[in-house]
Amino acid sequence: MRKITKIFGLATVAGLLAFGSALAADSPQLPPPAAIKTDFLRDVEPIFSSRCYECHGEKKSKSGFRLDDKSRAFQGGDSGQPFLIAGKSSQSQIILRVAGLTNSDEVMPPSGERLTKEQIAILEAWIDQGANWPDSAKKIHWAYVKPIRPSLPTVQNAKWPRNPIDNFILARLEKEKLNPSPETDRVTLIRRVTLDLTGLPPTIAEVDAFVADKKKDAYERVVDRLLASPHFGERWARMWLDLARYADSAGYEADPPRRMWPYRDWVINAFNRNMPFNQFTIEQIAGDLLPDATVEQKTASGFNRNTMFNTEGGVDREQSRVETIVDRVNTTATVWLGSTLACAQCHTHKYDPFTLKEYYQMFAFFNNQDEPEMQLPSASQKERQDQLSSEIEKLDTEFKKQTPERTASEAAWETKTLADLAQPVVAPPLTNKPAAPEIPTNIVEALKIARADRTDKQKDAVADYFRSQAPELKGIRDDLAKTHKKLDELNDEIPSTLVMKERDEPRESHVLQRGNFLSPADRVYPGVPAILPPLPAGQPTNRVALARWLVSPENPLTARVTVNRFWGQIFGRGIVETVEDFGTQGERPTHPELLDWLATEFIRENWDVKAMLRLLVTSATYRQSSHSDPDMIERDPYNRLYARGPRYRVSAESVRDIALSASGLLSPKIGGPSVFPYQPDGIWTQIYSSRKWETSKGEDKYRRGIYTFWRRTSPYPSFVSFDAPSRELICPRRQRSNTPLQALTTLNDPSFVEAASALARRLMNESKGTVSAKVTYGFRLCVSRRPTPEESRRLEELYQQELARFKEDPEAAKDLVTGELGAPPKNANVEKLAAWTVVANVMLNLDETITKS
Amino acid sequence: MTSQFAIEQQRKLHAITRRHFFSRSALGIGGLALASLLNDNIFAAQKSNLLIASPLAVKPPHFAPKAKRVIYMFMEGAPSQLDLFDYKPRLVELNMQPCPEEMIKGERFAFIKGVPKILGTPYKFARYGKCGMELSELLPHLSTVTDEITLIRSMVTDSFNHAPAQIFLNTGSTQIGRPSMGSWLTYGLGSVAQNLPGFVVMISGGGLPSGGAACWSSGFLPTVYQGVQFRSQGDPVLFLSNPEGMSAKDRRRSLDALHDLNEMELNATGDPEVATRINAFELAYKMQTSAPELMDIASEPRAIHEMYGTEPGKVSFANNCLLARRLIERGTRFVQLYDRTWDHHGVSADNDIVNPGGLRKKCLEADRPMAALIKDLKQRGLLDETLVIWGGEFGRTPLNEARGGSKFLGRDHHPRAFSLWMAGGGIKAGFTLGATDEYGWNVVEDRVHVHDLQATILSCLGLDHTRLTYKFQGRNFRLTDVSGSVVNKIIA
Repeated sequence: MRKITKIFGLATVAGLLAFGSALAADSPQLPPPAAIKTDFLRDVEPIFSSRCYECHGEKKSKSGFRLDDKSRAFQGGDSGQPFLIAGKSSQSQIILRVAGLTNSDEVMPPSGERLTKEQIAILEAWIDQGANWPDSAKKIHWAYVKPIRPSLPTVQNAKWPRNPIDNFILARLEKEKLNPSPETDRVTLIRRVTLDLTGLPPTIAEVDAFVADKKKDAYERVVDRLLASPHFGERWARMWLDLARYADSAGYEADPPRRMWPYRDWVINAFNRNMPFNQFTIEQIAGDLLPDATVEQKTASGFNRNTMFNTEGGVDREQSRVETIVDRVNTTATVWLGSTLACAQCHTHKYDPFTLKEYYQMFAFFNNQDEPEMQLPSASQKERQDQLSSEIEKLDTEFKKQTPERTASEAAWETKTLADLAQPVVAPPLTNKPAAPEIPTNIVEALKIARADRTDKQKDAVADYFRSQAPELKGIRDDLAKTHKKLDELNDEIPSTLVMKERDEPRESHVLQRGNFLSPADRVYPGVPAILPPLPAGQPTNRVALARWLVSPENPLTARVTVNRFWGQIFGRGIVETVEDFGTQGERPTHPELLDWLATEFIRENWDVKAMLRLLVTSATYRQSSHSDPDMIERDPYNRLYARGPRYRVSAESVRDIALSASGLLSPKIGGPSVFPYQPDGIWTQIYSSRKWETSKGEDKYRRGIYTFWRRTSPYPSFVSFDAPSRELICPRRQRSNTPLQALTTLNDPSFVEAASALARRLMNESKGTVSAKVTYGFRLCVSRRPTPEESRRLEELYQQELARFKEDPEAAKDLVTGELGAPPKNANVEKLAAWTVVANVMLNLDETITKS
Repeated sequence: MTSQFAIEQQRKLHAITRRHFFSRSALGIGGLALASLLNDNIFAAQKSNLLIASPLAVKPPHFAPKAKRVIYMFMEGAPSQLDLFDYKPRLVELNMQPCPEEMIKGERFAFIKGVPKILGTPYKFARYGKCGMELSELLPHLSTVTDEITLIRSMVTDSFNHAPAQIFLNTGSTQIGRPSMGSWLTYGLGSVAQNLPGFVVMISGGGLPSGGAACWSSGFLPTVYQGVQFRSQGDPVLFLSNPEGMSAKDRRRSLDALHDLNEMELNATGDPEVATRINAFELAYKMQTSAPELMDIASEPRAIHEMYGTEPGKVSFANNCLLARRLIERGTRFVQLYDRTWDHHGVSADNDIVNPGGLRKKCLEADRPMAALIKDLKQRGLLDETLVIWGGEFGRTPLNEARGGSKFLGRDHHPRAFSLWMAGGGIKAGFTLGATDEYGWNVVEDRVHVHDLQATILSCLGLDHTRLTYKFQGRNFRLTDVSGSVVNKIIA
């Protein structure tokens, strides 16, 4: 019946290198030239750059041969023999060598993977087509040149575009002789956009309202409603927190918990308030340095405090500090510049124009901080804090007041103590009285000196000690202790968060040779890579300057990198697939003009995040049906041309949120300390740490995934299965895997079983109709659309099978309906409830339930 | 009920696959083990639309392998090479004398302060086997298999703190974020395991290693290559058991319904990812049977239990050694056993090298099963194709640590010299490599850096460490970073 075992789903090109090289090695013959019109910069230069320049480039020119310079390349190397003969690929040495058709010691590249057949085919085609090498080819890599707003391409099907995005997409499709897909149905569309903008599925009422809304702008109004939803910020913060490497623990061995959630809430609020992205950047990089910085701005500076901190014994403090700063430099470069500056930590970047010195100039911006914790008291907490502090001050003044009586008493105590000390030491008699406290040696020393001869420090020490034990001061001493305790307790209650703070005395920064903190070399000052525009003039070169520079309209990278990231979130892949690397080793954009148009539009709209997302989700490109067929998949497996709508599995957090939402368990509460939903025993087993996971009570058990306590060394298990990162370091791009461990999670994780139980109860309580009506209701709660008759029948069949089975075994039924959720309502029909629980479990496990379609 | 669409799709994709690669019989459901057929980021950087099989399908190595699989016994905390493997009479002679100043000049230690004292081993060493390998009396069982193993006395590493050193040994970098050895191997070779993961981790001694899950992380490789931790008690794999009240038959019926519904979706959408998910659920169902069957060591004969010192139901290194054998019999590519708390600093009685609760206890727990594993693999004809590795993350100092004036005996962390042994697939039998100076401080002969060890392990499995690469953030990364060379002297 189910013979799908041999379906070869389409995979990516995994193993291509391995296979390709195996072929190249096994069958040394030339592959046919690629049947494409080659373009040197697009097709050929990337192969040279990634596989040849290391030995035949600017730095090294082995055998005198260089491939980074047109004239040198055609000249050949020391041998004087030309390696490249335009029009004759099969006679060009360069082809013979990469194809392995020469002596084995001449095979290129000599180490690492061999070129793939496809790469060789491209080189052949290029040579056969005349080895066209434009003189202007030695130009600056596209990403370092400021984008210029392109004009909109004209398209034949002028009716299709809904906004400028579509002109770019359609122009390319028309060039490729492909048609866009029709617009998807309304139910799918509202589910897609609701998942994209809020991370939650739409309610049935929202679906019905949209389907019934016949006005022309019905969809746009849905989009506006979603952009205004407080859940919008939660969904987009989820993306940002991967970049900010936000977590609730410090990382490393003991991985102690720490309080950073006010930063997480700041991010959620910033998205909800639609803070312009340039401001969003400045506050996170330098919020603490802004004039009259608010508490919120200081909180935002926690972006850079999300770094790990090693508490392991034997850690070198300076090494640890340097590693932290390195993480800040690398993260900043990845998030805003889409650059692998990290490569320049030990040596000048091999492929991109970043030097070792420039790396440490960036390092210098972050080398000058203290790292305090900031309290965030509420108004009433602040009042109470002030009150207790002034009480303490008053008591302390009273405690330390020198009255004549006290002076006399202290003198008497001194005399007596000195006399006692002069007595020979004898064993104390056996009594029940506690022994008198031993007087500290420094006090004894001081007492032995005549009063007048004591230093001020000694005088104070003696006075302090006297007051700490004088019987007549016991009352006030106790009052002081009590008030201190109250203040400590209050301080424990007050939320706090880690923030940045500039030191008064700047640290000196140096180039660290090979990245080693023990090998400082030349002194450096804060600065930015020379390939990029200079820092704004006339202001101190501190983090504020760096932040303003990042979001300057002159910066060629930040806007592109940011819109590309948004695009990737909505469409599944970036226009530049390597969202983290816009350098020469990264992917080229599939639609370079579109990328530049979006980047310039983003700046023109004053970095308005919601406006940008609105643009993306209201495009005709976005609104296409995501259906595909084998021809389409063969032609464009990853939908890089956008001839269909996006379709892929939702994020780890959304997998949870959807189950909670469908089952009605979800708490809509926003913000606050991180929570502890159900987690199996024995997950938190860090050594040197006895902390236990204690499941939250009440609605906190059912909060959205973004609020789950994030411990770096053992993140929440179901999130791990669904590709959430550990957040030890930045995660610019999550994987999207599809594994049996995920299947086990949604089938059996007690959190998901609990959701199935709750959904079953909901079906029995809220839907009074037939079995079929209940199936339809549950199905809609999970996937928004109604089931087809066939789908409905299949679920009804399962329900009847299970009902019959549980009628025979009521004990099993009772066990199944009494899980994490607790006992069912007294009057509940347990067998029916058990059968519905099985059905609900299936509905929550549908591929469609966790897929944005 | 196989749909027309599915057939058509299968035909097409199969044809494409065959056209470009080989017709591969392993690509049944097992070849798809734990895999995504549409895992986005695999080779994302490649500009090709070719379609191929699952990321865990068996892939050919670069050259003929000596070993097909690996069992790596990771002694977390770092056992003392000076009390187990590397005898230094000079230290015994100078026991408890202040150490020569030139020895520690400019050295950085994790804990030692001031001028420490020499600590000679309190244990007797002797030569064992035909090869005459010198071992400590703490390892009476290992002494019986010296003719099967290669002992390396010249290991060096880059870090002297546990977490970074463990991460370094596993991933080739002290910084978190790179793929681990097991991930690289399953990425490079795939897995033949039908119903079990290709890379399995088990832990004894309580808790997690200092390096945490980063030790078996897939880093920037797709998560299908991540080590799956099998738990010794409860469900071996998280969420393996059906909820209470749901029988295996209920589960089968519900999976049948799920299967049919997902297939309807596949027909309606044409998204091959749905096919992958259908397979994932079927494999999950198989694991529900195969994983408990694997963990059930009670079915092993008595002689085996006696040999390993195993007790069914217990969490122990011995049980894990036996489970490792059962895993590789079922096709798992890389099994890693972490045995914890070998960190004998001498700060308390159970952290002391002489006290029965310290180093001696760990040796009692580990010696017998590790030797049994060698013998058992050998008697089953599996040793030839299984690479076995045993060792910690760094060495220990020839100096007594005496932290805070502690009266217990123990040694601080030492990255400059440590010992490690290997056996089986491709490794010389009855061989000792390398030597340290008379204090055991520095390696003086045949230095083996961690990257060399990693290159050698890959080489035994038929992989060239310079060619097993993955492009990430603009660079081709590999397990051995930018260095490492195969230690040819230990290759059989």
